[in-house]
Amino acid sequence: MRISLSWLNEFIALPENPREIADRLTFSGTEVEGIETVGSTFDGFVVAEVRAVEKHPNADKLSVCRVFDGQNELQVVCGAPNVVAGGHYPFAPVGTTLPDGSLAIKKAKIRGVESFGMLCAADELGLSDDHSGLLTLDAKWAAGTPLSKVLGPPDTVFELEVTPNRSDCLSMTGIARELAAVYRKPLNLPAITGVSEERATDDARIRVEDAVACPRYTARVLEGVRIAPSPDWMKQRLERSGIRPINNVVDITNYVMLEMGQPLHAFDLDLLAEGRIVVRHARACEKMQTLDEAERELDPSMLVIADAARPVAVAGVMGGAGSEIRNETMRVLLESACFEPALVRATSRKLGLSTESSYRFERGVDVELAERASRRAAQLMVELAGARVVGGVVDVRAAPAAPRRIAARYSFIRDVMGIEVSDAEIRAILRGLEVQVVEKGGDAFEAVIPSFRADLEREVDLVEEVARIHGLDKIPAPLPRATVDPLASANQTTRARAKLRAVLAGLGVTEILNYSLVSDAALDLFDAGNRAQRAPIPRPLSADQSVLRISLIPQMVETLGRNRAHQIEQAALYEIGRTYASTESRVVETERLCIGLLGPVGRTGLDRRRAVTSEEMFLWVKGLVESLAAAMGLSGLTTQPVSLAYAEAGTAVELRAGEVVLGTLALVDRRIRKEWRLSDPVGIAELNVAPLLAQALDVRTYRDIPAYPSIARDVAMIVADSVTHEDIVRVMREAAPPELETIELFDIFKGAAIGAGRRSAAYTLIYRSAQQTLTDDAANGYHEAVKGALRTKLSVELREG
Amino acid sequence: MNSEEIQKLQAAALAEIGAAADAAALEAARVKYLGRNGRVQDVLLALREAPVDQKRELGRLANEFKASVQAAVDARKEALQSSASAASFDVTLPGRWHGLGSRHPVTQIIDRAVEIFGQLGFTVADGPDIETTFHNFDALNTPASHPSRDPKDTFYLDDTHLLRTHTSPVQIRVMQSRKPPVRIIAPGRCYRRDTTDATHSANFHQVEGLYVDRKVSLADLKGDLTYFARQMMGPDVKIRFRPHFFPFTEPSVEYDFSCHVCHGKGCRVCKHSGWIEISGAGMVDPNVFRAVGYDPAEVTGYAFGMGVERIAMILLGIPDIRMLYDNDVRFLGQF
Repeated sequence: MRISLSWLNEFIALPENPREIADRLTFSGTEVEGIETVGSTFDGFVVAEVRAVEKHPNADKLSVCRVFDGQNELQVVCGAPNVVAGGHYPFAPVGTTLPDGSLAIKKAKIRGVESFGMLCAADELGLSDDHSGLLTLDAKWAAGTPLSKVLGPPDTVFELEVTPNRSDCLSMTGIARELAAVYRKPLNLPAITGVSEERATDDARIRVEDAVACPRYTARVLEGVRIAPSPDWMKQRLERSGIRPINNVVDITNYVMLEMGQPLHAFDLDLLAEGRIVVRHARACEKMQTLDEAERELDPSMLVIADAARPVAVAGVMGGAGSEIRNETMRVLLESACFEPALVRATSRKLGLSTESSYRFERGVDVELAERASRRAAQLMVELAGARVVGGVVDVRAAPAAPRRIAARYSFIRDVMGIEVSDAEIRAILRGLEVQVVEKGGDAFEAVIPSFRADLEREVDLVEEVARIHGLDKIPAPLPRATVDPLASANQTTRARAKLRAVLAGLGVTEILNYSLVSDAALDLFDAGNRAQRAPIPRPLSADQSVLRISLIPQMVETLGRNRAHQIEQAALYEIGRTYASTESRVVETERLCIGLLGPVGRTGLDRRRAVTSEEMFLWVKGLVESLAAAMGLSGLTTQPVSLAYAEAGTAVELRAGEVVLGTLALVDRRIRKEWRLSDPVGIAELNVAPLLAQALDVRTYRDIPAYPSIARDVAMIVADSVTHEDIVRVMREAAPPELETIELFDIFKGAAIGAGRRSAAYTLIYRSAQQTLTDDAANGYHEAVKGALRTKLSVELREG
Repeated sequence: MNSEEIQKLQAAALAEIGAAADAAALEAARVKYLGRNGRVQDVLLALREAPVDQKRELGRLANEFKASVQAAVDARKEALQSSASAASFDVTLPGRWHGLGSRHPVTQIIDRAVEIFGQLGFTVADGPDIETTFHNFDALNTPASHPSRDPKDTFYLDDTHLLRTHTSPVQIRVMQSRKPPVRIIAPGRCYRRDTTDATHSANFHQVEGLYVDRKVSLADLKGDLTYFARQMMGPDVKIRFRPHFFPFTEPSVEYDFSCHVCHGKGCRVCKHSGWIEISGAGMVDPNVFRAVGYDPAEVTGYAFGMGVERIAMILLGIPDIRMLYDNDVRFLGQF
C-alpha cells in the first residue's frame, strides 16, 4: 500500500524526517519497503494559458502554440494531442530543468519552427507515468502562477507492507492510528458533518439473501449529482496512492476507501432495474460485464449485487459496466457493505481478478465501519459534486455484537516479553491503541477490544501489542539458560552422520548436493523399469523437476558429466540425501549415500595420463567403500554379482556386511555415459545410510596384541580365470587351522608364458599362535595342508621355489 | 708377516677403504682385506705360526686390524649412503598423497548450527520431507485460507500430503511425542514452488529451533539467537527484532544480524543498512500448543527458522544460490 506523508500529516502531527517515521513504522510492525519523493519545488515552472493552436507546417503530429506565461506571449511547439486553445497547462520556460534532471529546456528549432519552452505532461513533471497528453490544470489558476502553488510542495510516499492480520492498517486512518500509539500523540480524524445518520424509513429497496456472506449492507441515495473531474488535491492524493482519477463520484468512493479502509461502490441509480438492490448468489452460467469491460462467467458460489433483473456488481470485487457512473449520471446509489473474507478471496481467485476492494475484503473489513464511511463519502459528494442526500441510510445488518473482552494479566505480558514493564506503561500502550483497560484487581485486567481489531483475540495477542509499541529493541539479550537436555543421546545419529562425512573427506571424496526433484527422462535413462515406484509431483514447475528422485545415481552421473564438460579430468564425489519410492500406501523416504568416481582418482603417481581401465575403476570404488565400511565399524563385507539396469554387464555387485544389504556398486554403462560424453569408466556406489551408521559409534573394546612372533610363508600358483580370489581365500581358510592369521595377495600376472584363460597369483600367508612361539615345522605343516587343498579343490598348479 | 708388516697392511687397507668411490669399490676393498680369501688370512696365518713369545703382541695387532678395517668399512658405507641420498632426488617435486575431500557449504553450515545450539543443550530432531497438511499447516495454526497453503506456492502430492514448505512440522512431531521441556534443532530440506533465480530455489534447507519450558520469553529468544549469531558470524554481531506476523507464533518477529563485514557501518554485503535480514521467529502460539496437547497455561516457548543457503551465501560471500546446486568441483573445493 502506498501512502502520502503530507496526507498522513493531516491526521497526526509527525516529525520532519521521513526516514525516522519509516523506522518507527517498521519497528512497530508495519514495514516500510520503500520511500519515494514525488513532486518537486518546480523552480521556474509556471501555469501557462494556450491562446492559439495551429498545425505545425512540417509535421502532422505537432502543433505550434501561442503561449501566455503571465508576462509574454511565446511560441511553443507541442506534440500533445490534447492541447487546445484556452487550456491551462504546466509550462517549463527556457532555462528550467525537468524535476528528474533529464532535460534542460533551451530555445530550440523543431522541424524548422522555433520553440521557447515546453508544455508538460504528468510524467515529465515526475507526478505519474502518464504521457497520454498534457496535464490539464484548472482554469482558476491564472497564467504565470508558480506551478509549485498549483501542485503543492514535494511529498514523500511510503510503500508499506501490511501483514495479513492487520487489515485495519490498509488505510490512512489505520496507519495514523498506529503512529498515534507510537508517538503518543492525538489523532485528528476528519469530522463528518452535514449528513444524517438516520435510518431510512423505506428499507424495501434493499434485500440481502445471504446474511452470512454479506453481514452488512448500507445504501444511501444522492440526487442532483454533477459529474465532473475531481479537484486537483483529490486527484493528486489518489495518484500518489496509485489510483487513477476518473470523475468526482468514483474518485470520492476511492478516496474514502484510502482514508478509512472501507471499499465503496457508486451505482447510477437510474440504471438499476426498479431501483432495487438484491444481494444474492449468482445463478449458474450467469454472465456479466465488469468495469474492466471483460465478460465474466459467474457461478453460484459467488455473491453478486443485483438489481431487479441482473447482476450489477461482483460483491466486494468489482462493479458492473451496465450500472457505472456516467457523465450523465444524476442519481447515485452509494453502497457501503461488508462481505465475508473467504468468499471474496475465492471469487477473486476464480475470476483471476484482484482489486483494491477485494484485497481489503479478503483480509477483513470492520463491520462497524460501513455506515460511517458511507456518511463520509456522502458528505464529500455534497461538498464536491453538488449532490443532495435523499432520505436516510438503509442499513441491513444483524444487531451489533458487544465488543470483545479479553481477560489478561500484567505479569503474563512481562513474563512472555522477558522484560520489566510497569502496569502503567502497559495500560498507556493499550489505550494508545484504543484498547480500553478495565482493572480487575491486583494483577488482572480486562481489555476491551475495538471492532476494527479483529486480530486481537487472546491474552498473548496483547503481549505482541505491548512488545511492538514498547519497542522490541528494549528487549534484552541475556546469556542463554543452557540447561542440559535429558535426551542428549538423541544426537547419536547426528554424530554418526558427522563421522561418515569426516571419513569420506579423509578418503578424499568431495560432497555435493542435488535437488530432490528430477525429470522422468533422467530416471528412465538409468532404469526405465522403476517407473511404477516413482512419486510424481502433480502440476510440476517444469518437466525437469517433475518427480521425486528414486535414486541419487542419475544426478551423480550428470554432475560428473557437467564437471567433465568444464575440463575437470578427475573427481571423487559423494552425496548424502533422501530417495523416495512409492509403495501402495505411502511414499517411503530412505537416506542414501552415493559415491561417484571419474578419472585416475586412485593413482597418486605421475601416470595420470594412462587410460583408466574398467578393472582399476571398479577396484577403486570397491576399495573406497571397503575403507569406509571399516571406518564405520562394519566387518565381514561380501559381494554378490547382480544385474543393474544402468551398469555395464558384469560390473555390478551387491554389497553386504554380514546379512545386512549395504547397497550396490558398479560401473556406469557406456550407453548412459555417452549422454555426457564420458568416455572413461565411471564408478558408482549407492549405499543405505542407516546400516552405515548403525555401528559407527560402537565402543571398540581392547583385544590382546599378539605376544608371539609370526611366520610368513608364500604360495604362488597358476590358476584358471574362472577361479576367483574369494574362492582361493575360502579354500585356504578351510584348510588351515586358526593359526592362519592373514592372507595377502601380493602379485597377479597374466601373459603368454602362463597361457590363455589362466593367471599366476601369489599370496603371503601369516601364521601365528596365541599360545607359544610357532616352530618352523608347525608352520610348514599348516602351509602344506593349504597347498594340498588348493591343488585338490581348485586344481591349481603350484609354482615351487 | 711381522708386526710392522701388519701395521703397514692396516694403513694401506684404511687408505683404500677411505678412498672407495662407491658401494661397489667399497665392497671390493672389504672382500680384499676381510673376505674369506682376503688379506686378513695372512695376518691370521702369521699369528698361528708366530713363536709363543710374540703371539700376544701379534694377537693384539690382528684384532686391531680386523676391528679398524671393519670400522672403516662401516664408516665409509655410511658416508657413501648419506652423500648418495643427499643428491639422488628433487625435493621440489610435488608431493604424492591423495588429498582430503571437501564438505558442501550447506552441510557445513548445518553442522555448525547443530554444534552451536548443541552447546546450549539443543538436540537434533528430524522429520520426513513428505508431510501431511496437518503437520505442515493445521497444527501450526495456519488457517485454510492462508496464502502459504495456495497450490501456487506449495507442492501438493494429494489432498493431504505435500512436500514440506518449512521445517516447522518437526516441532509438531517432536511435541506430539514428548512432554516439555523441549529444546530441539531440526535441519532439513524444504520445498516451495519458487522459480529458480539468484536468490530462490524450489529446494532449500532450513534449520528450525524450538524451546518449550516454563517461562520461556522473547528475551530468551533474543539471547540465544545472539549467542548463535556471535558463534556463527563473529564475536560482535548483534541481533535486531522487527515485528512481523506468522500464524504459528505470537508475538512474531523477523530477526536481522548486524553486518559481520562492516560491523554495522554499512557496506555492499548489507546493502548499506548495517543489518542483514535472516529469518522469522516468535513465541509459540497457544493454538500450536493445544494442537499437540500441551497446556498453554503451563508452558511458553519460542521457535525460530533460518535459511541455510542464505546464511551460507552471506557468510561465505556466495553470489548466487544456484552455485550451491551446480556442484562444480572448482566451487566446492573452495570451502
